[in-house]
Amino acid sequence: MPLWTLRGLRRGIVTTRYPARPDPSAALLPTPPVFRPDVLTPGLADRLVAVCPSRALARDGDLLVFDVGACTACGRCRAEAPHAAGDSGEFELAATVREHLVKQIPLGGRSA
Amino acid sequence: MMSQDATGPAIQETSEELQRTVTRMFGRSLHIRTLDTGSCASCEQEIRLLAAPHYDLHRLGFFFTPAPRHADLLMVTGPMVQVFETAARKTYDAIPDPKIVVATGACALGGVYQPDPFTRGGIGSSFPVDVWIPGCPPSPLALLQGLLVAVGRLADKVKDLDFALNGTPT
Amino acid sequence: MTATQPGLADEPRLRDLLSVFGQDGAGDEPVITVSAPVADLSAAVRRIAAHPGARLADVFVATHETDGPVTLRLIWGLDADRRYLVSESLIEGETYPSLSDIVPGAFTEECEIYEQFGIRPANGRPLNRVALPPWAGPDWPRLGRAPTEPPKDVHAPHHVGGHAFEFPFGPVRQVAVESLYYGLVTSGEELVDLYLFTWHKHRGVEWRLRGMTPGDALFYVERTEGLGAVGNSWAFAAAAEAALGLEPPPQAMAARAIALELERLYNHAAATAALCQSTGLVIGQAAAEIALERLLRLNAAVFGHRYLFGVVDIGGARADLDAAALRGDLPAAYGELERAAEALLSTNSFLDRLEATGILAEEAARRLGLVGPVARATGLAADTRADHPAWPYGEFPLAVAVADAGDVLARFRVMLTEAAESVRLIGEIGRTGAGPGLALPPGAGPGQAASSGLGWAESSRGESLAWVALDDTGRITRARLRPAAVRNWRGFDDACRSQNVFTDIPIIEASFWLTVAGTAR
Repeated sequence: MPLWTLRGLRRGIVTTRYPARPDPSAALLPTPPVFRPDVLTPGLADRLVAVCPSRALARDGDLLVFDVGACTACGRCRAEAPHAAGDSGEFELAATVREHLVKQIPLGGRSA
Repeated sequence: MMSQDATGPAIQETSEELQRTVTRMFGRSLHIRTLDTGSCASCEQEIRLLAAPHYDLHRLGFFFTPAPRHADLLMVTGPMVQVFETAARKTYDAIPDPKIVVATGACALGGVYQPDPFTRGGIGSSFPVDVWIPGCPPSPLALLQGLLVAVGRLADKVKDLDFALNGTPT
Repeated sequence: MTATQPGLADEPRLRDLLSVFGQDGAGDEPVITVSAPVADLSAAVRRIAAHPGARLADVFVATHETDGPVTLRLIWGLDADRRYLVSESLIEGETYPSLSDIVPGAFTEECEIYEQFGIRPANGRPLNRVALPPWAGPDWPRLGRAPTEPPKDVHAPHHVGGHAFEFPFGPVRQVAVESLYYGLVTSGEELVDLYLFTWHKHRGVEWRLRGMTPGDALFYVERTEGLGAVGNSWAFAAAAEAALGLEPPPQAMAARAIALELERLYNHAAATAALCQSTGLVIGQAAAEIALERLLRLNAAVFGHRYLFGVVDIGGARADLDAAALRGDLPAAYGELERAAEALLSTNSFLDRLEATGILAEEAARRLGLVGPVARATGLAADTRADHPAWPYGEFPLAVAVADAGDVLARFRVMLTEAAESVRLIGEIGRTGAGPGLALPPGAGPGQAASSGLGWAESSRGESLAWVALDDTGRITRARLRPAAVRNWRGFDDACRSQNVFTDIPIIEASFWLTVAGTAR
């Protein structure tokens, strides 16, 4: 089918070079949050836990327990406290052990 | 061949050993069977795009196969709707050992749905899982990284990330 | 089809209909609620069904009672009058007058209602299983009370010369497609009958939403059918807004509309790719997938998510909109689809597989109450954006894409026409100024009595409906979700039957481009 062949040749190659080279389209992807321990107080942590719809956040005493595996990158925690939760920019999140995805963030902030 | 434990340091050792063995045995050719245990369909759309021109998983030696007998890797989406479990188990059992199980997307990892009468809230209690890929849905790039981790060609990077920032967040 | 003024309140025909229910006028409200006592229900249904342009859009039980009377709600799209009509009937006993005797398409809902609420049509006909598995006993979680006897599956009688055999297919099927379970009846190659089961994937979303705030529920509504996240979440948010008396700001409505059109675009590109795959035209599939990937990246650039999750919020739109990215990337992304379509429409070997395959007659689409491109391809010109316009749709003329062959090719052509129309609409809506905005700050709720509301949106698959009832603290007492897939799967077996062979099934499925998730919710 010359029609398709010509079109294909004209179109050229669009295939990503990943993993040999980083792919610029990754910059558009929604990613899980990073948290600022120096700003997180127990009260703020509890607010973040309450706002997460996927149960990715829990508080264990002085730690905010963040389950990256349960996170959907919906952004509700970042909207709730933009000074305490930012964008990680990480999309390479595959883990060989489920616990590698569960992070302990210390609550280092001081209540006002 | 497959570890039956879901937790503990033994799995780390077995997992590394498995990956070395798998890399040797599977070389650069791996066949993937998918399994939808109750997804919203967006994970499936991202998986379909792995074979599309922008991602072309074939260049990495990965192929899809509908036949579980020919498969090496089972890619599972969805929160394991309970009434589906028999079909899921039959699919898993139909894949000969050695095999790799990849839990794909937040639902399969235990996010979104809690365990309740309708779903198990993830696939972790149904099969031994080798690789967990977060995302809602995981993009094709994230899926590629996950598959490469599964065959030991990329490292598990997330274990060294702490998701804590000291200083101004971006 | 051009936009006309809203508020055709004094149309004599509509007033005539409403007088049957003791109402003398509709006002300007897009939704009219009437009461239909159960003794008069059959006559009422007959009367409404005879009204020009009336379409039974949904039937459900509005309450969760496990004993005592239940409220049966019928939602009618009075498309020619640009209204929805909601009728309520209180059912005291175990039976109610049969709806499917008058509107055959209501059979699916009668089955679902029996399974979930234990009430059945008075005609005593056997009912099918819908959402619950064969072994679901009286203690299985339901929305209401359990039926006294389990449903017995009934299927269309088979007329075939010679022998036919029946076999189940699925639910684990081809790679990277959803699980779907159907029964095939065949005499060898020809498909005599096909019936679907969706209970293997039923996630109990409506059951789960009880007691949630609309904001929390939205997270699950988006993920009920990820490929219809905008359409379904818009319908749900609109229902909650109607119940709460919230009016989203115009820029948020414009943002929603842009997201909805982007969703339509990528779904139609994905359907094109699936059609190519089903016919074995790998190169066409690759071309369509290039378009699809570019459209998904466009979504991520404009709204921050490839599948547009997180755009719609209760009271408006949450996500920031990158207008520059939209203007910059949309022409090139759509250009990929346009070029692929052009090449496909010149490829005879491809068109030969599509033409006269999976024919659905206009009469069948009407009888079954089908919606979206599937219905429009049979000649039914119903489109919620034109018939029940929410701002900004009423502002701009919309050409409703219609075909009349009713086959796979007709559905494909309708999708391509709609895609072009979506690009045009995005340009026009974009010029009105679109961006995030909420009618009320999240977390604040007005003091209110218990209330309910109906919401709708024209998703890529057709009309998506939602109905929500809230208590006086603003929490959900009943959420009814009716994505377009719920209506359109019942047309799939009609399209597959007779004169089609096994290898046509994936082609027909691609041309419907539904999801299992959209119905197994």
